[in-house]
Parts: sequence; structure tokens; C-alpha cells
Amino acid sequence: MEKLTPQAIIDSFVTELGDGFFGGSVHECEVAVKKNKFRSLWIEVKKGAFRHAVEHICRLQEYPHLAIISSSDLGAEVELTYHFTIYYGEHLQELSLGLRVKLPKNDLTIPTITDLIPGAVFTERETQEMMGVKVVGIPDNRRLFLPPDFPEGVYPWRKDEKGPPDDMLRVLPGREPKKWQ
Amino acid sequence: MSLTAFKRALWVYHLNTGSCNGCDIEILAVLTPRYDAERFGIKLVGSPRHADVLLVTGPVVKQMVARTKRIYEQTPDPKLVMAVGNCGIEGDVFHESYSLAGPIDQIIPVDVYVPGCPPRPEAIIHGVAMAWVKLEKAAKQEVA
Amino acid sequence: MAVEEKKKATYTIPVGPIHPALKEPIRLALTVDGEEIVDTDIFAGQVHRGIEWLGMNRNNPIQTIYAAERICGICNICHPSAFIMAVEHAAGITPPPRAEYIRAITAEMERIHSHLLWAGVAAHEIGFDTIFYLAWRVREEVMDLIEYVTGNRVTKAMFQIGGVRRDITEEQFPRIRQSLDYYRSMFGQLKRVFLDDKTIQMRTRNVGILKKEDALKLLTVGPSGRASGVPKDVRQDQPYAAYADLDVKAITPDVLTGTVVGDVYDRIIVRLLEVKQSIEIIEQCMEKMPPGPLLAQPKTAVLLKTLTKAEGEGIGRAEAPRGEVVHYVRMEAGRETLSTWKVRAPTYVNLMCVPTILKGAQIADVPIAFASLDPCMSCTNRVVVTDRAVGRKSVVDYERLHQLSLEKTKELQ
Repeated sequence: MEKLTPQAIIDSFVTELGDGFFGGSVHECEVAVKKNKFRSLWIEVKKGAFRHAVEHICRLQEYPHLAIISSSDLGAEVELTYHFTIYYGEHLQELSLGLRVKLPKNDLTIPTITDLIPGAVFTERETQEMMGVKVVGIPDNRRLFLPPDFPEGVYPWRKDEKGPPDDMLRVLPGREPKKWQ
Repeated sequence: MSLTAFKRALWVYHLNTGSCNGCDIEILAVLTPRYDAERFGIKLVGSPRHADVLLVTGPVVKQMVARTKRIYEQTPDPKLVMAVGNCGIEGDVFHESYSLAGPIDQIIPVDVYVPGCPPRPEAIIHGVAMAWVKLEKAAKQEVA
Repeated sequence: MAVEEKKKATYTIPVGPIHPALKEPIRLALTVDGEEIVDTDIFAGQVHRGIEWLGMNRNNPIQTIYAAERICGICNICHPSAFIMAVEHAAGITPPPRAEYIRAITAEMERIHSHLLWAGVAAHEIGFDTIFYLAWRVREEVMDLIEYVTGNRVTKAMFQIGGVRRDITEEQFPRIRQSLDYYRSMFGQLKRVFLDDKTIQMRTRNVGILKKEDALKLLTVGPSGRASGVPKDVRQDQPYAAYADLDVKAITPDVLTGTVVGDVYDRIIVRLLEVKQSIEIIEQCMEKMPPGPLLAQPKTAVLLKTLTKAEGEGIGRAEAPRGEVVHYVRMEAGRETLSTWKVRAPTYVNLMCVPTILKGAQIADVPIAFASLDPCMSCTNRVVVTDRAVGRKSVVDYERLHQLSLEKTKELQ
């Protein structure tokens, strides 16, 4: 497929997903003396349309590069952002694309995309163990970074009661753990 | 500072308990022709059973505790432990993390501390020389 | 052939990927069939220090710069670089152009030092200790230069949100040019030593091959991916710092040899040519450096207040010596720490191609094939490779593995 402008990409998502599309924006800023633009796209979709959106990205670019899956704890929901990059290989042409999905905390599941992008398995494993999101259909279910004797049900990236408890923090003798709000 | 008991080279085993590699590459730089610790007789070995001095870097990550203790026990006496770098001494920037088991001296006894993030190669050579002297004294006391 | 007929042995090999001194905690468990490797399994976690948790719960953004610096001691500029870019996008701060050029110069110096470090280590894995010492002796020149410019050999602490902390003035240029000339004169010798030697060619040609399609599917980045033919380089594709004004091309091995094989020899070619490219980039940056201020907001207390009130998200991408580094940051108004911080180091994705590279290789090739990816475990975490074969379990330690590698070299000579 030929390269589209950022706004055209957002429009193509609207036509493809219809109802599943939630919102999109383009962020630009200027760099250095010649003021070339650093561009990034942010698109939010509903959970039901998630796999369809990933397939659409694979059509925009053959072998899109998935950088990482980042997750944020927003209180009642968990938001996953899949960071893709497309149009790499040529001077000043690449775009960062962030695909957002919000999951309610009482139903933290998301389908896997390792059949489309085999390299996603590490980052899906990490999201599982660090945030407590269950990835349905993942080929490898083991922990990645945490030790095997780490307690179950403790998820380091959460801000609610499931984060690491105070007695797990290694504080130097004579100090109190620092508490930001 | 006269060394009498150690007439052979001092063999050093390096153990990484989860460090960022900054101290490790400075330890390796000590062997290169610029600083050349081998002319003093200091040599890196590949197994703790041949070592006289244990060079430990890194804040001890929980997964590495068992391995650290095992390697300490495998090293034969007389031995010395050197903690290189701020992480091993008191945690440096990582001191409140949930995955740390504490500074090195909470796990195994430490004899020489070399602070710095990372310490310069000259400081590491100075630390090994101090360890040498200390080991000398310990050997003399055993004989006496 | 049924499984019971083959006599398979399970080796659990604790492999330190490089010299005994750089024994980053990593274990490989290989399934072997005779001398050939059939499968590999990966575990990680021995260098996990919970850094992202620290950034989200304990530190304000300026303190987090120093935690980000100590993620890895070798790629020491790229992590703060990407992190600061992400915070600047989230908070809407623009660094002045002079700061962007200084960032690019220090990043290229770090690239030279990292590639020479790797070259020495790779030579040691094959068994040429003399070249190891030569490469590290040559590297001392750039370490002196880094100390002259930034003040320290390893942890440089040059960056601040909104600019840089120290200046590179006109009076320092002659000293920098002197080092660059030294490297230009040494480059011919390095190329001859590494690329024209018959034994190195025999040990590295057609070893550890990664095809272009596998590299794209498994998301390989950096020199390992470029050696397989994927022309992906953040400095070329998406502008950041001073690279937006320069014309940087991703180097693939067909620049030198005309074909792309994707083996260890190609990775040596790519890294040596990148050293040459870095020298050119530093020269260009020095010529084009614009005058101006160094920081968008010189007063740290005011900066901290701006960051506490900032709201938004940002993504920062930089090209480390090993590949692409991505940091994602989200900030909330009124919260002094970051709300979300995610780090993606290049070795994180490069590790996934290890089973493909080692498949069909001999055990004696494991050290050099694995080291050719230039793994930095502290950036990622450990990888444990386990073997699947049923049968005896024997432990092969690093010494034995290194011995096997040396013996193979002797046989070839």
C-alpha cells in the first residue's frame, strides 16, 4: 500500500471499524534547526474491535514493528497501549502509532496477537505478570521477569491494593518508605 | 607494606548479582594494557574454587541470593570479599525497590568496600591492593 | 526416527555471554542432538530491579533521569535521551537547538565506545585475545575523550529535561578533532584485522544466520537486524535531536560485500562501518552547531513545578548502539511522580530471535553466535534457555563452553 498521511490513516480506521472506533489524534512537534516534524498518532478503539484494528495495521504496513505494550492503572479501568511503528526504512518517513484499549477491572482479558506478530510474545507475558491482565490464547504462559516464588496476586504496576505491599520494599535501616499520593 | 605470604598471583573471581554493568566494564578495563593489573599478578579466573578474592557487584536481586551464598561457600579459605560500586554498598538509586534483597553485606560478609558509580579503574586496583594486605595479615595470624 | 532410538542428552548450560568478568546472569538450556542444537528456551529475570516501579512511585521526573541512566552502564546516554524526549513531548517543553546538537555528539561518542567494546569481546569469544586487548586499548582513546567532554568515563549525566547540563565550547573542538583523526587512522588497521583474517572468516561466515523475514517477524532491531537486511534506523526514519538536520543512512552489509547473508560476519561489518559513520556525524555536528542557550528552563525549582502541573503523554525513541530504545511516559496534573513509565530496551526484542539463530548450530558456536547479538542483560533481564531432550542431565559450565570454542578455532588453523 502506498504511504498515507496521518489524517488519512485515522480516516481509514474510521471507515474500517465504524462503531468500534473511539477517537484519534495526531501529535506533532518540531525538531532542531530545520524544524522537521516528529509525528505520532494515537487511536483508541473498543475492545470488541481490537483484533480487527491490528489486522488493519498489518494491511497498512507489511510487518509492522510492535515496540511494546504499556499499561496504565486508571482506577476503575486498565488502559493498554500497543505502540506500533509503520513506514520505516526511509528518511523521515516513519510514524509512531499508539493503539489504545480500555479494559474494565472486573474483566481484564484481551485476545493475543502472536499469530499476526510472533514477536509479541515477550511483551504479552510481561503485561500478564506485571499488571494482571489475562491474554487469551497466548502460546507461552510463564512468568518472564519476576522470580517464580513471587507471591501470586501481587502486580507491581498497579496502584490499588494489588501493588507490592510495604513489607516487600527493601528500605535501608533507619528510613521509612517514601509515600507519594 | 611488605608482602611476604603471597608469593604467587592473586586470583580474583567476579560475581554479578544484578548490576548495570558499569562497574563490570571498569573491572574489565583494569586488565587491558592501559591499566594492566596483570603486571601486579592479579588475574581473573573462571571458577570460584580457584579464587582468593571475590569481586561482587550489583544490588543483590532476590533471584540471585541463593547463587551468591553458594558461590561464597564454594570459595576456599583464606578468602576476601570486595564490594565494588555503590549498589552493593547501600543500593544506590535502587534502594527502595521490591525486588532487592538488600546490600551485599546483608547476605555475605564483606571486607573491602570500593565506592563509586562506577569507581575508576585506579580505585579498583587500590581496593585489590588493600585486600592483598589484609589477606596477608590474616594468613600471618593463622600461621602464628 | 523415533525419540527412544536417538540418544539425546539434556545439557543445562549456564552461559555467561561474554568474558568471565562480564558474566551477566543468564542461563541457556539447549536441547542437543549429538553436536547439533535443536531447540532453545528462554527465561529471564535475574537483573530485574523494579526500575519502572521506582519511577512511578518514588521519584520525581528529574530524579528519574538518574535512575534511567543506571539501567545499563554501556548504553548510558540512550536511555536518558529517550526518557527526556518522552517527558518533553508530554509536558510541551522544547529544547533549544544547541542542546540538540550536543546530545547528538555525546550519543555518537557512546556508540563508538560500545562498538569497540563489543569487537573486543567477540574476538575473545573466538579465541584471539590479542585482538581483544587491541580493541580495548583503542577504546581508551574515546573514553579519555568522553571524560574530557562530560567529566566521567561511564555515567555521563549530561542531560536535563529541556536541554543539556554542560556545554561543548569552541575551545574543546581541537581536542575532539584530534581523537577523531586518531580513529580515522586506526580504522584501516581495525578493518584489516577483523574483516580480512581467514580464521575469523571461517569461524563467523554462515554461523548464526538470521534471515530477513525472520528478523521482521521477530521484531529484531539495531545492527543485528540491519545485518539481516532490514534497513531500520531511528536516526534515519524518525527525526530526533540533531539527526533531523543530517542525512544518516542505515548501514546494511551489502555496502561492503554486495550481498546480505545475515550471519555473524555481517554483524561485524555493520558495527565497524557504524564506527566510521559516527566519526563523520560528530564532524558534521561540530561544523553546524548553532549558538544559543543550553536549557529551556534554567531554574530547576521552576522546572519541577512545571512538571508537576503537566498533563499528557509522550513517546521518545532513540537509537542505542544495540538498537531502538523506546520510552513511554504519561503524566498527570498534580502528581509529583510519573503516572506511567514503560521502558523498551533493544535486547528485549533481540532475545526472541535466539532460538532461530542457534538452531542447527554446533555447541562450540554458541558463545560467538550469542555474543554477536550484543546482548545487554541489564537492559532486559536474564534469559534462560532450556533444553527439551529426554535423557541424562549434565551441567556444562562456561569454562567448558569457552574451551570448546577455542578448540574449534585451533582445528581450523
